Amino acid sequence: MNFALMDQLARQSVSRRTGVMLVTGALALVAASALVAVLQGQLGVTNPSAAYLLAVVALAVAFGTRAAIGGSVAAFLLYDFLFVNPRFTLTVATVEEWFNLILLLVVGIVCGRLAGAQRDRAREAETRERIARALFQISRALAGAESAGPAMVTVADLLRVETRMSRVWIGIGGSGSPERIAADTGQPADIAPPPVHFVLRRMPGDVPAEWVKVHVGGGPQAGSQLASQAGPRTGSPSEITLRVVILSNGSGLGSIWARRTRQEGLPEGPETRVLSAAADQLGRALERDRLVRETMTMEVARRSDALKSALLDSVSHDLRTPLASIRAAAGSLMDPSVHWSPEDERATAASIDREAERLNRLVSNILDLSRIEAGGLVMRHSAFPLEDLIPDVLERLAASLGQRPIEVRIPGDLPPVDIDEVFIDQVLTNLLENTAKYAGPGVAVRISARELGHDRIGLTIEDAGPGVPADALPRLFDKFYRVPQHGEGARRGTGLGLAVVRGLVETMGGRITARPSELGGLAMDLELKVAA
Amino acid sequence: MSLGGALLLLIEDDEPMRRALVANLAGHGFRVDEAGTAADGLRAWEDRRPDLILLDLGLPDRDGLSIIGQIRRDAATPILVISARGDERDRVAALERGADDYLTKPFGLAELRARIAALLRRAGGPLADAGGLLTVGQVSLDIARREVRVGDAPLDLTPREYELLKVLLGRAGSVVTVGRLLRAVWGAAYADESHYVHVYVSRLRRKLAAAGAFEVFVAEPGVGYRVLLPEAVVDPG
Repeated sequence: MNFALMDQLARQSVSRRTGVMLVTGALALVAASALVAVLQGQLGVTNPSAAYLLAVVALAVAFGTRAAIGGSVAAFLLYDFLFVNPRFTLTVATVEEWFNLILLLVVGIVCGRLAGAQRDRAREAETRERIARALFQISRALAGAESAGPAMVTVADLLRVETRMSRVWIGIGGSGSPERIAADTGQPADIAPPPVHFVLRRMPGDVPAEWVKVHVGGGPQAGSQLASQAGPRTGSPSEITLRVVILSNGSGLGSIWARRTRQEGLPEGPETRVLSAAADQLGRALERDRLVRETMTMEVARRSDALKSALLDSVSHDLRTPLASIRAAAGSLMDPSVHWSPEDERATAASIDREAERLNRLVSNILDLSRIEAGGLVMRHSAFPLEDLIPDVLERLAASLGQRPIEVRIPGDLPPVDIDEVFIDQVLTNLLENTAKYAGPGVAVRISARELGHDRIGLTIEDAGPGVPADALPRLFDKFYRVPQHGEGARRGTGLGLAVVRGLVETMGGRITARPSELGGLAMDLELKVAA
Repeated sequence: MSLGGALLLLIEDDEPMRRALVANLAGHGFRVDEAGTAADGLRAWEDRRPDLILLDLGLPDRDGLSIIGQIRRDAATPILVISARGDERDRVAALERGADDYLTKPFGLAELRARIAALLRRAGGPLADAGGLLTVGQVSLDIARREVRVGDAPLDLTPREYELLKVLLGRAGSVVTVGRLLRAVWGAAYADESHYVHVYVSRLRRKLAAAGAFEVFVAEPGVGYRVLLPEAVVDPG
């Protein structure tokens, strides 16, 4: 595509380089001529024309084959003009002089070409190595990262350096939606893709990719139509903006944007290849991210299903067990074949009552918990001194706590706590009932409170009972978790009481944790907020 | 004399449930041994050789499923699982391990008793009649009532003797090896005590003869014992 601007850009950079080359070539030839003059005039060397070869080789090394050939021709003419008799004309008098001149030309051209080819190969190898290194670094940045996100910053930096851009940024977003900037080597404030920029059009197979100028809103347009718009409309007048679309399976996932000075011109083949390969790699990395996200979403859904069915199993088991006892006991009471003593009859009726109570507790725990989890509990704040709260609860639970030493250590000067009276009552009831149930009869209990700072008050309920194995501590507040235990009564808990406790405490903005107590048993640490 | 009703072993950790079941089953003429843990249950199985086992799966010390396998290695005693786990998966797992029936909690007591009775009727094996009665010649053994008669007269046997006769009659006509008898009557731990079998067999033989039943079984030297089928009965084997 021959667009005016591209030509202009190309011309600009070519003419600049040509200028440098011409000046250097002239200097080199002048120096060589001086050397020839000295050799011939001062030192009496008969044929010093080979000195020009130095200039030709220097040009070849610096600027390549074409410069070398040009240099050879110029050297031929210069020598003829300056040193061949008759001097200061292009006329050549003798055959010997002709031979000399032709020799200079041929040797100059051959040396120049050889040196130039050598230089071109070296430069090509250098470029290739630079591309390979850049691509390798980009691959490594993307492959080593867990997701493409953080790696993109590295990729943008690498691209800026390796493709000689003033700025590179990567925008992520599917077709249609605006792109979100994921990485930017410049200040994030001022990036708006200019209405006119160059898009890399990649071709299938080995056809080299090319830069196509687009006008936003119109897609790629023919260069002749745009020729008049070129220049000022392409964003900053001194810079051009480039875009490489990141594709995966044919759909756009974002773009690599780059800016460089107008003087630098469009990227050359190797730089274009780096940009194109980086876009490919980013496309693959983004696609990988998308697959990982999808897999994770599926895994989360699967696990939550598994959890739900485990909970359902657990609930149905826990509901059925007391129900089975009730049915068996009631069935036996009704059965005319079973002969009961009055005491047995009472005991069986009492067991029906207890099992019904157990069922009731389970159901209300499940209801509480589902209310807590649904976020339907609204806390009614009140400022309450712990000092007054604890004795009330202890009095009400006197029967289930039985005969046991209970030590209460609550400093009188503690500020009141911010609680919901109903919630805290249930929390303390559940905790103390647990203690009564699992710590064993007669086991000492201690209730203590202290200020923790940061407007927090700590309340600890601990016992001297058998405690809980260390590996069970973190799971204690999980729904349906029961500490593995042997023997009678081990499975009587619902596994919900402490889950309800945690839910209520958190609803009040507090925290609860469990640890081994220095009394030997279990310690429950409550953290409550100080009333404002 | 009759040994009383069939001996059941109830392995169930939920105490109210256990009490209610024991009261009811006893009221219906069963004798019930109870155990609250798998370990106690297996001990009772070793000591008492019950006629049927009622097994809850959720035991505190180990899973009830593993007990099924352990019992099945010794004997074919019917196992009725009673469990709050009602999934098809759980039921299949228990039946595949060797349980004979599965009842999901909560259940009605009448259904439980009907299932116990059905299992006991079948416990006599293919040679038993429709009521579960094993009869060879003059000797008959009623598993459901745990009763042995010679002619019309009840025969008084110790639990081991009863168990021995049950195994032999259940496979009448075929040789029952000493090893099999040891496992079924005494348990796998007694595998090397073959003299137990010989001592109990000769006692049993004496008791049967005293009641008028001669040559009920013969020794197959070096192998085991075989109950002789009367000429009229076709050997099913």
